[in-house]
Amino acid sequence: MKLTDQSSQQYRRLWWFASRGLAAVAAVLLIAAVIGAPSGLQNLFNGLAIGGVYAIFALGYTLIFSILRIINFAHGAIFTLGAYFTYFLTGAAVGFNGLLANQKLPFGLPFPLAMIGGGILAGLCGIFIERVAFRPLRNKGADPLLTLVSSLGVAVAIVNIIQLLVGAEIYSYPRNPFGEMPAALNLGNFGGLTARPIIIRTIQVIIFGVSMVTVVLLTYFINGTKTGKALRAVAEDATTSSLLGINTNRLILITFFLSGLVGGIAGTLVGLSVNVSGPYFGINFGLKGLAVIVLGGLGDIPGAVVGGLVIGVAESFVPSEYVAYKEAIAFAVLFVVLLLRPQGLLGRVVVQKV
Amino acid sequence: MEVFLSSYGAAIVQMALAGVLALSLYLPLMAGQLSLASPGFYAVGGYTAALLSTTVFTGYANGSYPIPLIVVEMVIAGGVSALFALIIGIPSLRLRGIYLALATIAFIEILRVFALNQPWLGGAVGIYNIPQPFFSATRIEYLLLALPLLFGAMFFVARLERSRVGRAFIALREDELAASAMGVRPTYYKVLAFTLGAVLAGMAGALNAHILNTWNARQGTFDLSILILAYVLVGGSRTFLGPVIGGAFLVALPEIILREIAGAPGLNPVIATFLRDGRLILFGVLIAVSVFFFPYGLITPELFKRRRKKPEKVTVEAAKPTPNVRGGNL
Repeated sequence: MKLTDQSSQQYRRLWWFASRGLAAVAAVLLIAAVIGAPSGLQNLFNGLAIGGVYAIFALGYTLIFSILRIINFAHGAIFTLGAYFTYFLTGAAVGFNGLLANQKLPFGLPFPLAMIGGGILAGLCGIFIERVAFRPLRNKGADPLLTLVSSLGVAVAIVNIIQLLVGAEIYSYPRNPFGEMPAALNLGNFGGLTARPIIIRTIQVIIFGVSMVTVVLLTYFINGTKTGKALRAVAEDATTSSLLGINTNRLILITFFLSGLVGGIAGTLVGLSVNVSGPYFGINFGLKGLAVIVLGGLGDIPGAVVGGLVIGVAESFVPSEYVAYKEAIAFAVLFVVLLLRPQGLLGRVVVQKV
Repeated sequence: MEVFLSSYGAAIVQMALAGVLALSLYLPLMAGQLSLASPGFYAVGGYTAALLSTTVFTGYANGSYPIPLIVVEMVIAGGVSALFALIIGIPSLRLRGIYLALATIAFIEILRVFALNQPWLGGAVGIYNIPQPFFSATRIEYLLLALPLLFGAMFFVARLERSRVGRAFIALREDELAASAMGVRPTYYKVLAFTLGAVLAGMAGALNAHILNTWNARQGTFDLSILILAYVLVGGSRTFLGPVIGGAFLVALPEIILREIAGAPGLNPVIATFLRDGRLILFGVLIAVSVFFFPYGLITPELFKRRRKKPEKVTVEAAKPTPNVRGGNL
C-alpha cells in the first residue's frame, strides 16, 4: 500500500527528524498553553469528555475497517439508533408525530441498563446491516466501492424509518439518569495553578468514565480472549485464517455487533450531554468519526482512541469568538493529516507491492 | 400538459442538472479517482452566481434578468471552481482510493462551515432574491439553459472518451503504474480530470442558484455527495451515458412515487401513506438493492456493443472495475 508518491530515502530521513522535532515542540507548546490559558484545564476536561465519545464511536469504524477494509457509512445511523433505543428502554413515550405516536414500552429500565440494552439492540442492527448490505456483495466478490454505496443506501433507509416511526422531534433523556447527583463538580483552582476554579458538569465525568470503561473492555476482548485472537488473525489475513479453521463469517458478524454496540453507546452518551436532536442526529458525528480514524490511522485501534481524544480536546480549545468554526476543526485536521501523514498518527508506512 | 408541467416542471429541470453533476463525478472516476468533491464546487458555483447577480450585474427594469448574463455567470462560476479545484487537487490527488474520498469529504465540510459563518455569503440564511429570467411557476423554461448545459457536457465527455486525453484517463484508471511507464503523467491527468469535473459542477451550481432563487450552505453537503455517487454507480460508471441516465432516474423516482404511485386511486390508504412519507426509505433500499443486482450499473458499454456488432462473447471480466476504482490498494 503506497499512500504518497514520494519515495526518496534521504527525503524520508529528513522528514523523520523534522516531524519528530515538530511533534515535540508542538507537545511542549500545547502543555504550556493548557496550563497557562485562562481556562486551559477547564477546556481540557471538557475536551476529554467529548473526545472519549469520539474515541468509542470511531472504534466502531475501525473494527470493521480492520477486518473488511471498508468504511461502514451506516455507522452514523447506528449511532442515532442507539440513542433512540436507550430512550425507549427507559420507558419514555414517543412524541406526537410519526406512526408510533404516544406509544411506550410496558416497562422502564434504569438508565444504565437501558444504555447497555440500547447498545446491544444497536449491535443487533449492525448484524442486520452486515447480513443485508455487506455479506451479499462480499459473496459475489463485488467491488468494495459498491459496498460503500449499499451501506449508504441502508443508512438513508434507517434515518427515514426513524423519521416515519417516531417523527423528527427532539428527545431528551430523563433528568438525573444516574440517581441524585450534583449538576457540577467544583475541583477548586489546583492551589492557584489556574485563575478560576474548575467546574465540570457531573454528566461529563460520567461520559468520560463510561467511554474509557468501554475502551478498556473492548481492548481486553480483542487482546485477552480467544475470540479476540481469532479476530486479530482475520484482520491480519482473512484467507489464511479461514484455512486455519477460523469461521470468518461468524467473526465478521461479531465485529459488526461490537461496532454497533460501541456506536449505540456513543449515541446514548452524546444524547446525555446534549439531546437526541432527531433522525439526523448521527450524520455530523458520522463524518467527524471519519476524521478521527484517519488521524489515528485507518484500522488502528489505539490510534482511534488517541485520535478521538485529540480531536475532542482540539475542539474544546477553539476560542469563544471563533466557536462557529468549531465544526470545521475535525475536517481541517482530517485534510492536513491526509496530506502530511496519511498513515495516521500511530500508523506505519506500508510499502505498496506491485 | 399544463397539469403535468406544474407538477413536474421543476423536477425535469433538476433531472438535467443531476446529469451534469453526475458527469462531474464521472470525470475524475474516469481517471480512477474517487472524488466526492462535486458538491463543494457546486456550492462555489452557486455562490459565485448568487453574488454576481445580486451585487455586480443588474437586470432589466421590469425585474427580469437577461439570459446572456446567466451564461456569463456560468462561465465565471466554472472558472472559479476550476481555481478551487487546482488549489485542492494538486496536493490531494497524491492520495488514492478511500483516502482521496475522505479528503474531499473534508473539503466540502470545511467549505460548508466557512460559508455558514461568512456575513458576505449571507450566513445561515444565505443569499436570497436571486433574480430570475422567467416568471412562470413551473420553471420549465430553465430547460432552455439546463438542456444545452447537459448536452454540451455529454458531448464534451463523449468526445473526450475518444481523445488522447480520455485514453490517458482510462489508462490511469486501469493501471497507474503501467500508464506512467508508458509516458502518461499521472498527476497532470488526474488534476485535469478533477478540474474538468469541478467546472461542470460549478456551472450546474450557478444555474441552480437562479432556479432555486436562493443559495445557502445547505446546498453542497455530504448528502449530495452520496446522491451523486449513487447517480453514477446506479447508472453505470463505464460510459458517459450511465451517470446521466442514473441521475435522471434517481431524481425522477421519488417524485413519481410521491405523485403517481402513492396518489393512484383505489390504493390501500396505509400503503399510500407509507409511499408518501416513506418514499426515502424505498429510495435507500433501492440504492442498496440496485448495487447488488446491477453491480456495473444500469447502462454498461456492453449494451451498445451487442447492438452494433454481431453478438460477440462478452465476458464479465471486461466490465469489472479495476483495483484503482475499487478504492483498492488499501
